[in-house]
Amino acid sequence: MKITDANARTLLAAEYVLGTLKGKARDRFELWLRSDPGLRKEVAAWQGSFEPLTNRLPEMQPSEHVWRRIEARIQPRPAPRESWFANLAFWRASSFASAAAAALLFGYIALTPKDHALTPDNAMVVVMADEKANPAVTVAWQTEQRTAPRLRVRVIGHQEMAPDTSWELWMLPGGDQPPRSLGLITTHDTQYVVIPAEMMAKLLQSAGLAMSIEPKYGSPTGLPTGPVIYSGKRLEI
Amino acid sequence: MMNAADSLDDLMARCALRDQRAFAELYRRSSGRLLAVAMRIVRRRDWAEDVLQESFVNIWNHVNDYSRAKSAPMTWMTAIVRNRALDWARRPKHETSDEDLEGIIENWEDAAPGPATRLVQAGDARQLDECLGELSGGQRQSIALAYMHGLSHSELADHLGEPLGTVKTWIRRGLEKLRGCLESKGA
Repeated sequence: MKITDANARTLLAAEYVLGTLKGKARDRFELWLRSDPGLRKEVAAWQGSFEPLTNRLPEMQPSEHVWRRIEARIQPRPAPRESWFANLAFWRASSFASAAAAALLFGYIALTPKDHALTPDNAMVVVMADEKANPAVTVAWQTEQRTAPRLRVRVIGHQEMAPDTSWELWMLPGGDQPPRSLGLITTHDTQYVVIPAEMMAKLLQSAGLAMSIEPKYGSPTGLPTGPVIYSGKRLEI
Repeated sequence: MMNAADSLDDLMARCALRDQRAFAELYRRSSGRLLAVAMRIVRRRDWAEDVLQESFVNIWNHVNDYSRAKSAPMTWMTAIVRNRALDWARRPKHETSDEDLEGIIENWEDAAPGPATRLVQAGDARQLDECLGELSGGQRQSIALAYMHGLSHSELADHLGEPLGTVKTWIRRGLEKLRGCLESKGA
């Protein structure tokens, strides 16, 4: 969804920055922000305009323990105790999205006669949804692929990627295991990602997939470093 | 080594490379102001410190997004703190009492910067002051209270003793005027 009226956009951006845009309207606006660089600019402009108000506040000295707690929370953890993706706030939403999008999926997979790479038999699919459970990216693959296994990725709607960033696709193995990178994807409507055969085997057992925003050439650490914007569970169809 | 000449921009860039000492320096330089920002909105020191803690963990985790925000480091961090503080203040158990609000409104009335403060302010601060000065009293007060103290439309209406519709119109018209004024000054 887009807000097109320029004046309405500016006012919404201003009320978002002020904080008078609340509740569901605020959530919806934040969703627009992600895919609308122009709107992000409006917001940044208002934030800059209002900042002098906070500039002149007398500073306060935070208690010692605040920094100690922050420091403790930013240490890299070798083995996370809790499964990495259990904490994704929108993980819950994705099961709902999966159900709601079943019909949609069927359309994507079965009704593409020119595409022989995927048939509805023994295919698997992940509908990755945003936190409002709107399907955003689907990934589908054939369960038996003998040579050069590949995933078909479809990006729903016309989404934009911020400059100097990339979208990285992750397999969520489930349990306590950290996510594994499946590579970078583009904003193209339909694209294919070739993956190693051993990864395909793991994919068949995985809990689902996620997509994060990373620096230009992908995560420098091998784990998601930017915000995870979409995720979804693996479904058999 | 850190040195005093490192700009906040340099520190942010080093944080993106996971340099924890740069992050400690960023905290040392900015946490005083950011705590004050949070304090105005959540109105209790322990809560404001919780907001500050959450915000800095967030800043560390999302410092890679900073480059695409295209704003000054302090503006970007202030936005993170304000968003956290607004979320915090709007959870039902964190609402503060009416007496707190009365205090805020009274204090705001005296809080306009005096002439001495004006002289030392940066150019864009002066522009904002001048443009706020062109708004009606109601418009200016409701926008400033919303920005500084995180008051919602209905809180503003309650505490300014005006109907909700009036307050909404003040804010909308005020923002429109403010935008026109800032644009004409090239902000």
